Amino acid sequence: MSGAVEQIRQQALAELEQASTTAALAEWHGRYLGRRGELTQLMRRISQVPPEERPAYGQAVNALKEELTARFEQREAVVKRRELSQRLTAEAVDVTLPGRPADVGGLHPVTQMIREVTTIFNHLGFQTVEGPEVEYGYYAFDALNIPQDHPARDVWDTIFIVSDQQEIVLRPHTSPMQIRTMERRQPPVRVVVPGRCYRFEAVDATHEWHFHQIEGLAVDEQITMADLKGTLAEFARQLFGHERKVRFRCDYFPFVEPGVDFAIDCMFCRGEGCRVCKGTGWIEILGAGMVHPQVLRNVGYDPERYTGWAFGMGVERLVMLKYGVPDIRLFYQGDLRFLAQFNRALA
Amino acid sequence: MKVPVRWLKELVPTELSAREIAERLTLAGLEVEAITEIGSTWDNIYVGVVERIEPHPNADRLVLATVDAGAHRLTVVTGAPNIAPGQKVALALPGATLYDGHSVEPKLITLKPSTIRGVRSEGMVCSEKELGLSDEHEGIMVLHADAPVGVPLREYLGDQVLELEITPNLVHAFSVVGVARELGALIGQRVRYPERAPLSVGGQEGLVTIEAPDLCYRFVGVVIESVTVGPSPWWMQQRLQAAGMRPINNVVDITNYVMLEWGQPQHAFDRDRLREGRIVVRRARPGETLETLDGVRRELDPDTLVIADAERPVGIAGVMGGLESEITDETRTVLLETANFEMRSIRRTARAQRLRTEASARFERGLDPNLAWEGATRAVALFRQLIPGCHVTAVIDIYPNPRLPRQLCMPRREIPRLLGVDFSDEAVLDVLDRLEFQPELRQEDGQKLIVVQVPTYRSDVAIAADLVEEVARIIGYHELPEMLPLGRTVPVEISPELRLVQAVQDTLVAAGLSEVITYPMVDEAALRALLPGAATFPDSYGFYPRPERELVRALNPIRPEWAIMRPSLLPSLLRNAAENLKFNRAVAIFETGKVYLPRGLDELPDERRTLGCLLAGARHLRDLYHEERPVDYFDLKGVLEALLPRIGMPDPRFRPLAHPSLHPGRAAEVLVKGQPVGLLGEVHPAVVEAFEIDPDIRVVFAEIDLQRLLELGLEPPRLRPISRYQPIDQDFAVVVDEATPAAEVADAIMAGAGALAVSVRLFDIYRGPAIPAGKKSLAFRVTFSAPDRPLSDEELARLRERIEGHLRRRVKGELRR
Repeated sequence: MSGAVEQIRQQALAELEQASTTAALAEWHGRYLGRRGELTQLMRRISQVPPEERPAYGQAVNALKEELTARFEQREAVVKRRELSQRLTAEAVDVTLPGRPADVGGLHPVTQMIREVTTIFNHLGFQTVEGPEVEYGYYAFDALNIPQDHPARDVWDTIFIVSDQQEIVLRPHTSPMQIRTMERRQPPVRVVVPGRCYRFEAVDATHEWHFHQIEGLAVDEQITMADLKGTLAEFARQLFGHERKVRFRCDYFPFVEPGVDFAIDCMFCRGEGCRVCKGTGWIEILGAGMVHPQVLRNVGYDPERYTGWAFGMGVERLVMLKYGVPDIRLFYQGDLRFLAQFNRALA
Repeated sequence: MKVPVRWLKELVPTELSAREIAERLTLAGLEVEAITEIGSTWDNIYVGVVERIEPHPNADRLVLATVDAGAHRLTVVTGAPNIAPGQKVALALPGATLYDGHSVEPKLITLKPSTIRGVRSEGMVCSEKELGLSDEHEGIMVLHADAPVGVPLREYLGDQVLELEITPNLVHAFSVVGVARELGALIGQRVRYPERAPLSVGGQEGLVTIEAPDLCYRFVGVVIESVTVGPSPWWMQQRLQAAGMRPINNVVDITNYVMLEWGQPQHAFDRDRLREGRIVVRRARPGETLETLDGVRRELDPDTLVIADAERPVGIAGVMGGLESEITDETRTVLLETANFEMRSIRRTARAQRLRTEASARFERGLDPNLAWEGATRAVALFRQLIPGCHVTAVIDIYPNPRLPRQLCMPRREIPRLLGVDFSDEAVLDVLDRLEFQPELRQEDGQKLIVVQVPTYRSDVAIAADLVEEVARIIGYHELPEMLPLGRTVPVEISPELRLVQAVQDTLVAAGLSEVITYPMVDEAALRALLPGAATFPDSYGFYPRPERELVRALNPIRPEWAIMRPSLLPSLLRNAAENLKFNRAVAIFETGKVYLPRGLDELPDERRTLGCLLAGARHLRDLYHEERPVDYFDLKGVLEALLPRIGMPDPRFRPLAHPSLHPGRAAEVLVKGQPVGLLGEVHPAVVEAFEIDPDIRVVFAEIDLQRLLELGLEPPRLRPISRYQPIDQDFAVVVDEATPAAEVADAIMAGAGALAVSVRLFDIYRGPAIPAGKKSLAFRVTFSAPDRPLSDEELARLRERIEGHLRRRVKGELRR
């Protein structure tokens, strides 16, 4: 009978060599090692073996089973490895083909700049507040120390909604929120106010009738102009680079005194003088000053006790300076080919 | 305002360059916007003297002039009728750049030696036009007799002109003298004031009557007789032109010169043309008109202050004189007006007449009445200088309430209190002294005070803060340190509205939409286009019902299309889409702007923060993976279903909606917590077309009232326990009537499953032979899970039964087996 065992062995090993796929291997396994496989058959035939040979026979069949199992596992590993390798080879793609697009839109550059600027001021302790765009003349002008029939009004060419006694206008600046904020709270006040503004102004490459401003206001005891300069310097450096130099020059706004214009050294020519800074080496980015005592009185603050400062800047101008946008009209023409260039999460 | 640098340096001698002067003035608040050069092109042009004139051998109208310019001595051919021996002239050598005298447009040419009618001309004697000084080309420009021969013309005549922006507070600097005072204070030099004639009041009674003393604070009238009118001297014309004014004649030029020099406007009348030879300052009478110097006949309303003679107006006070009494060559007696008027009245008149003049620009800023005397005395000095033989026969000065220097007292500590830095007493007093404020330091009640006498021309210095500014700007803001505020901290809280807007923006960007910002104004045409073909406006604009009141409207819009504050974002976004579709096949945009809904009269409108979303054209551009397909309702619905739960609005509902601007079968109202908060739908093809978009292009729009969401209250996340057990999916194919909304079927399943259904997802809709006609089969995959146990087959079977019951009762639905 041991001849039969050896014969099966020869046959099984030869067939195992031939099985080159997992399917063929599975079939081989069934045929020899399965429940009804050849080895089971061999074991059953032990009854036909003379009793004295049975232990040897049993050992031989068991030895064969172990051998075949081990050989099978070896062979299976080889085949699987080869098959995997073939599959991977077959699955190769041109990795330079385009990906499936994940559509992501973008924020308008003005929104991005408002977020950037207000965040800087939030971290400096200023709260963001907003106010109405359609505004009483009292808040837009009178309370800000800009009387009727005063040449100062010419600075704010205004679009009117109602021109009676009780004027209603499209706010020409965000400064009315100075008054509204102070009317509502007691010092200390520290707010920053982004928003749309409107002027009766011819539109050209640097002027829009519809634009955005960001206003800032700080009022408390011991608020000084040196703080104003330091705060604005900090802001300008965070926005335009830490090497920026800053400059105040005297300027006039009826609701501040002293009033200044705040400039940074030109980042395009590093102060040498170029087209952007009109040869001066300085770029003026906002107007500011100490809140006029009359304005403090208008909201019931005691100017002997409190001082404050305010500033206001044009958002579009900041974007134009920071990203080299040549024409302010691009912002509101709404052309997606322009806007898409600002589709980014980090500036 | 234009200030020639030579004129300025005559009053404040300094070695500073024009650029340095400009920088000092700019930092101190007088912004120099530009510096222009007179004579920047004058190379190879010298002061010469005409030695000899000889006739041209071949031409009657031409002469040969020999001109000596020191190192250069040339013979030139000229046709200038006014050339004469002994004259000082501008001699251009070959290579000089000149303006073409015969060209209407300014055109530069380079001078070359030439032969004119057979005689060689080696150079040219120049006209004013050829030098770029004026349009005068009748004859050559004759220089003053003491012009230095041989000196380059640029050195002798060239100048630089500062162009200053005069802010409304700077009336004191609206003149050469004013700028000189500023510069003097900045560099620590006293101003050399120009010569003025001593005058004493006297002469004719009743020459001037002021009937409107509330509008005319002062009137100095000077009568000058034996006047000969002619051109003013060349130096004066030069300065007027450099400052941007046209020379007229000696009398008018004197008044303009005084205005430029001192900032005090004047007007010269031909006295013989004044009825009764006298002046009345009064308000205009009803129906009165006046033809002003610019040749326009103007109607004068009774608010207008006029200068009249005994009968009629002869000038609009502070704005412009009348044509009839203007100075002519025949004028012999001049009545010179140097007055001071109420600023607001002048401003109103200039605006009403749309006539802003050099005079009105100064008066409306509030001139110092004391300046009138300086102006009058300076003018008389110039009359005497320019017109020998003329004499003053009467001087009237009506000035009932003389303005005196204002004493201002300021606590010394005000400077550090406002600036955050202090300067020495000496530095502060020095600055105020340079400004001619006569400062004193006093000690009162243990407090140091600074006391100054503010000159009357400094009407802008009225309070302590003004004085602090004077100190700061003259010392210079570069002395100010950079600090950060001390003191109390204010809590920084970002409002729910701002947070909501940011969350909406960020979500939509991630969903593939681009933010736009559009003009928030529209016109009637755009609103009518929301209901094309109808005679009335639609009864709702986008999500918002048409207000009962007139919409918010600008009285003076920039353009008619920007006249009405929008009541919806729909027209704005449609306009934007129409433009973008010209260049893009796929448009996906949103705006978080405002709509403006009218409230009561004299009330501000309700500005509601609103989200508008619009998809148009293709949803995906064709690429390797997608076929291109048109956008539809469900594209945008998916965006809203992603958005609303993310901003605390779980389970938004959509209910069919009939809306004038939307597709009747593809529009829905959006509900949150059972309340309408917006709408969603395909835009009606007729509306699409009315906005000049191809009506075959699909446009989907949604509008959400963000303010309303805030009012309803945003839901914070509510946590559900996470189950450890495998969820189980089961499919339900529900046969219902075609008209049954899918959401109701889903609701029925949810109701039947109770808390054990984690999700109900519709994945197929079948219509066909396997089910009865008029029915549809909706296939849902329901995921079941219990937090605390595995679901048994029995439990699942019970759930299935309950769901079946709910389907039958609520939507007459049958499960397909």
